[in-house]
Amino acid sequence: MASTIHDQMAAAGKVKRSKYLPQGVERLKEEHRKVVKDCRSQFEHWKKVENDYESLQERLRTLPDKLSYDIMVPFGPLAFMPGKLVHTNELTVLLGDNWFAKCSAKQADALVEHRKKHVKNTLDDLQKVMKNFQNRADFTDDLEKLTGDTGDFVDIREEVINEEEVTKAKHRLAHKANSKPKQEYLLDLEEDKEKKEGDEEGTTGVLSEEELWARLDELERQEELQDERYRLDSTDTNGEDTTSSSEEEKEADGGSDVQVNGHQKENGWVPTSITSQMNGTNGSHPEDEEEEDCDEEAGNGLPTIYFSHTAEFKKVRINTGKNTTLKFSERNEQKAQAKRKKKSGKSNGHSPHESYKITSPADIYRVFVDLVNGEPIPRKSILKSRSRENSVCSDTSESSTADFEERRAAFGRSWSHDDATHSDTSDGITEEESPTGTSPHTNGCFEAFTSTVIEKDPLPCSIPHLTIAPPALPTIPERKLEEVGPEAPQEPPKWMSKFKATRLHQK
Amino acid sequence: MAEAIHKKLQSELEKYQQMQKDVSKSMTSRQKLEAQLTENNIVKEELALLDSQNTVYKLIGPVLVKQDLDEAKATVSKRLEYINGEIQRYETLLKELERKSEQHREVLSSLQQEYQRAQGQAVGKV
Repeated sequence: MASTIHDQMAAAGKVKRSKYLPQGVERLKEEHRKVVKDCRSQFEHWKKVENDYESLQERLRTLPDKLSYDIMVPFGPLAFMPGKLVHTNELTVLLGDNWFAKCSAKQADALVEHRKKHVKNTLDDLQKVMKNFQNRADFTDDLEKLTGDTGDFVDIREEVINEEEVTKAKHRLAHKANSKPKQEYLLDLEEDKEKKEGDEEGTTGVLSEEELWARLDELERQEELQDERYRLDSTDTNGEDTTSSSEEEKEADGGSDVQVNGHQKENGWVPTSITSQMNGTNGSHPEDEEEEDCDEEAGNGLPTIYFSHTAEFKKVRINTGKNTTLKFSERNEQKAQAKRKKKSGKSNGHSPHESYKITSPADIYRVFVDLVNGEPIPRKSILKSRSRENSVCSDTSESSTADFEERRAAFGRSWSHDDATHSDTSDGITEEESPTGTSPHTNGCFEAFTSTVIEKDPLPCSIPHLTIAPPALPTIPERKLEEVGPEAPQEPPKWMSKFKATRLHQK
Repeated sequence: MAEAIHKKLQSELEKYQQMQKDVSKSMTSRQKLEAQLTENNIVKEELALLDSQNTVYKLIGPVLVKQDLDEAKATVSKRLEYINGEIQRYETLLKELERKSEQHREVLSSLQQEYQRAQGQAVGKV
């Protein structure tokens, strides 16, 4: 019986694979139903058998009470005749397979008991099989709904199209938000995985040069980031590890997939600049790194910002321009993101500084200069920036300096007031781990460093305004980072990879 | 040319169907054996419940022949072993048949493809 069921299942499975999905699913469901029906009928049968045994036992118990009974003996199929039942304690029992045994009523009772045990076992097995197949049927139902997008499961994707123009930065791949609870089904998981991969691999599936460039840029940036990270604080190591590892994971996931236009997924590397440009909507991020990695809430076309969080000390709620709030905790991530943004911003504009090739953090110092009266003046310190009026602050904050305190102080001073108008909340404003009383004196210190243009082009006010509404945001550096992010696209690129440069030249 | 392929296809198909029938036959006999196996197991257990005071009979045709309890136990055990052996044999046979039918299936599919190609060519020619 079990083998037949297995055969049926195998057949159904094979059939399913060969047919189209809807037909296959139908067939599979049919098979399921058949099996369940069979199980039910067998169950009925065995239940009857058990009842018969019960009544037999009853009879056996009462039979030896009398020496003989007066009964009507069946005589053929249609007649009875009166007779006597004698030797009431002597029974010939069929043991099975043409074997008989003479035994007393009590011994017969014991035999019946033994048989009932067998019947019970069979019944239990049937129950299990029935339940199993019922589950399978339900599962196929859910699966059908899932694949057919007819159920409650929604595929959330992010399609970013014009990001390519804005920045050549990497884009996040849409992640199908898998809200399906029944993840334990192996099949389900496989399906989901396949679908995820399918989504990732390309909603467009078109390999274009631009995508390749974007990919190259990505990789380069990753390398740079990793290099820079090594110099960061020990406090940052956590974030570094996570982000780098997540990046690696992403790499692995992306695999050979070419980044689809506008679709890219990198953990912790968010083209926040892009996103903020797009519409400034930012999803709030989970505090888990892992969650972040795979978390993507994107409405259609709504970019999301991903941050990988490590331990949080404080959370900053930031109101982005469009009534969305972000929560960050990971300062490093934000820095990284800001870096990304900057870089992506860089890639965007054709800056006259394309020639600047920043290959190490030291280059940043070289490249970032203060623009004073239209003339580039090398800074004494990257922390000390320009005058507030027209400081084209370089986002050196996020660069290799690991000394946040210093930076903080420096930034407090250096925050340009022309940015005062923009109260940008960087997407990635993280809180300093050390609650700082050294909150730079800004009231408005929470102005985002909007026009962090390293190169010289003061950013216009077209940058989306992000308002910071944190209680005490000491981390100016972070803010800066954040602000840089949204403005990145408009900033002249501080650093550009050779590939990007070539590309821009070509354009 | 298409005709030849067609004929070959037909013959292969018949062979394949024959194989499938063999497979199903072996399956049914194997299932029967399994039923007998369970039955004999039950008999063995129930014989264990009895003592030598009870007489055991074996039904041979229309006759109930008295048997010794120990003899009966031994006989049942031997039968059990025999059934197990048969099941093993049928298992291997089934596997063989499965394998062969797989091969046949592949041959069939390739022939089908050829045939279709030939058909296509014929249409093209025409």
